[in-house]
Amino acid sequence: MANLNIRNKQDRTYQAIVVGSGASGGWAAKEFGDLGVKTLLLERGRNVEHIKDYPTTNMLPYEFKHRGKLPQKVLDENPIVAKCYAFGEDSEHFFAKDAEQPYIQEKPFDWIRGYQVGGKSLLWARQVQRWSDYDFEGPARDGFAVDWPIRYKDIAPWYSHVEKFAGVSGNRDGIDTLPDGEFLPAYDLNIVEKHFAEKLKETYGGDRHMISSRCAHIHEPRPEFAAQGRASCQNRNLCQRGCPFGGYFSSNSSTIPWALKSGNVTLRPDSVVHSVIYDDEKGKATGVRVIDAHTKEVEEFYADVIFINAAAVNSNAILMNSTSARFPNGLGNDSGVLGKYFAFHNYRAGVSAAYDGFTEYTTSGGRPTSGYIPRFRNVKKQETDFLRGYAGGFSAYRGGGYVADARVGMDLKNSMLNKMPPDGPWRVGSHMMGETIPKESNYIALDKDKLDPYGLPTLQFNVEYDDNDEKMIIDYQEQISEMFSKAGFTDISVRDDHRVPGLDIHEMGGVRMGKDPKTSMLNGNHQLHAVPNVYVTDGASMTSTSTQNPTLTYMAFAARAAHHAVNESKKG
Amino acid sequence: MNRRIALRHLALISGGLALIPSCDFSSDDILAAYENLKVTASQKQLLGSISDTIIPAGELKGALELEVPDFILVMVNDCMTEENQQLFSTGLAAFPDFAKNTAGKKYDQLSTKEKEDLIQTGIDLQPAENSEGEKDKAVSYFLNTTKRLTMQGYMASEYIQTEIIPYSLIPGPYNGASLISESQNPRING
Repeated sequence: MANLNIRNKQDRTYQAIVVGSGASGGWAAKEFGDLGVKTLLLERGRNVEHIKDYPTTNMLPYEFKHRGKLPQKVLDENPIVAKCYAFGEDSEHFFAKDAEQPYIQEKPFDWIRGYQVGGKSLLWARQVQRWSDYDFEGPARDGFAVDWPIRYKDIAPWYSHVEKFAGVSGNRDGIDTLPDGEFLPAYDLNIVEKHFAEKLKETYGGDRHMISSRCAHIHEPRPEFAAQGRASCQNRNLCQRGCPFGGYFSSNSSTIPWALKSGNVTLRPDSVVHSVIYDDEKGKATGVRVIDAHTKEVEEFYADVIFINAAAVNSNAILMNSTSARFPNGLGNDSGVLGKYFAFHNYRAGVSAAYDGFTEYTTSGGRPTSGYIPRFRNVKKQETDFLRGYAGGFSAYRGGGYVADARVGMDLKNSMLNKMPPDGPWRVGSHMMGETIPKESNYIALDKDKLDPYGLPTLQFNVEYDDNDEKMIIDYQEQISEMFSKAGFTDISVRDDHRVPGLDIHEMGGVRMGKDPKTSMLNGNHQLHAVPNVYVTDGASMTSTSTQNPTLTYMAFAARAAHHAVNESKKG
Repeated sequence: MNRRIALRHLALISGGLALIPSCDFSSDDILAAYENLKVTASQKQLLGSISDTIIPAGELKGALELEVPDFILVMVNDCMTEENQQLFSTGLAAFPDFAKNTAGKKYDQLSTKEKEDLIQTGIDLQPAENSEGEKDKAVSYFLNTTKRLTMQGYMASEYIQTEIIPYSLIPGPYNGASLISESQNPRING
């Protein structure tokens, strides 16, 4: 690797460097831009400019050569990413292909990556539920991982801060496990979903709920969205293509253009971060080494503050690869916990059923969200023989359509052209989002003998389910079945698809927060205990996983940490 | 649609023909556009004829006029495993014999009704577990695949999605309690 530091060091010096332009990195860059901090925003993938680089966004179904289906060759070459529900003919260009960065599965793990400006914020499911103190106090109460160094009150104002800018739709449901936020009008539940919500209230005395899931979609025009160039969500449900309206929150539609407009932020795509530079004499990090994705040349950039937001796995990898005399085992890794206590969400189980009521109704139009069952298990006290609990997705829908088994010829043609009114019952379904317990034995590591196409050490995954997860699956199936039954649903069936960890795309931990530098990597401000000018505010920083979709929390963490870094620098 | 028009359409859509020696489609040139399949021009013509039986022209255009046979071959060529491609090709090659043995005539000599009966019989085949069954299995797989892809290619065509049932990228706001009795569209006669 040629080292071409030919440009003046001053030209490569900023006040802050943010590594990664996904949901959390985009927020760090936006806050720095607003606060007047000269910032370099690094992204390993190519640039994706809002609208301009969404090649499929306005394509009609017949314009896709394979009508949405991916060629067998693509599937054969990408056995991992092909398992992701959002990977299709209209979106494959926003996913990293398997060959781009091979990794070692000591235990099976499906690692889904989005390597471009905006990262996976272009592809996410946009569900944004707040955490509560039942989540932040979980490890301390139930005796696992370490105590979170923060509580809900520390993060609540930052949830509000990001919700107001990103745009979040939802009802103020008044549920203590799922605090209310700064909501735009919620999307409607349908008639059967409302029926289910009411039955739960009746049956469980206010302990179990089903609500309209809060989602990062603009459901009401407001000046703060217009100022970002974003309009209301049009219910297209084509989000994975990139939204030309900016109807849902992505770094591309929101934080990055905003940050660039400030004049303080420089975006540098195609920049694979090799490591953080640690200066033994100064006793702090001074910059990052970057590999140009195309030329493979190495260049260094310098700053007073470094934010690592490379997504959970790669943030771990960068720290592990940042070795120095002071930190031979990875930057800030005095505790030896770097890469360990890695966890995820358990999405294995589901329950489906039928409902015979409301046969005269169906749904029409589109909506970008569905129903959500907040965690009800082991909330106030321990009730079961497993720790923690699960949330559930929920939706009801009415089938209908043409009769595919009509006799070939004019019968078949007419049955296709005249969609039959629904004649079967409503169908309902739920999927599980289970909290997993971070453990030392679930870890990721680097194999420094095997190098990837960029010459970087190959990642190794040792992550698996445990007995707690297995028990939780059974309880989820039993409890949801019971709830379905009490709501009058019939034909109830449960499933466990035995997927391996990873497809939840909620990988977390490895650089966990904690109060004690001996057992954690980051303090309550997201600074490395041992290198306070390095912050990690993405999924890597998570001490525990809760049940809620985690991205909103990373966004709030990043905004909070950016303000902390600026306040620290003012103190001098 | 008469045979002359059908042939003209076929000439328009057979961009994959490696060589067009004449307008005689009985020759068996292998079509280069479908590199994973060994499909000849005459087999593509047969496939076109089958797809046009599955969705015939009437008041509205049929499958052949919408170039559905080309779509079918693209999908089989690009989006199927090698094993299924082979099964499809075997079934396509075995279809003329299947027609003769089942209906007593070559496919293009059958009436519309006889063609429909034949295809419906092939779709519903219950192949036996012997060597004869292997052939039936391939014919059944070929016909079921052709039917499925004909339906998909027809409904997801520019013609249907712009002129007949216009597709909208913006489906409108959600109504979670829409009365079925108020949401029926006027009948379309195919």
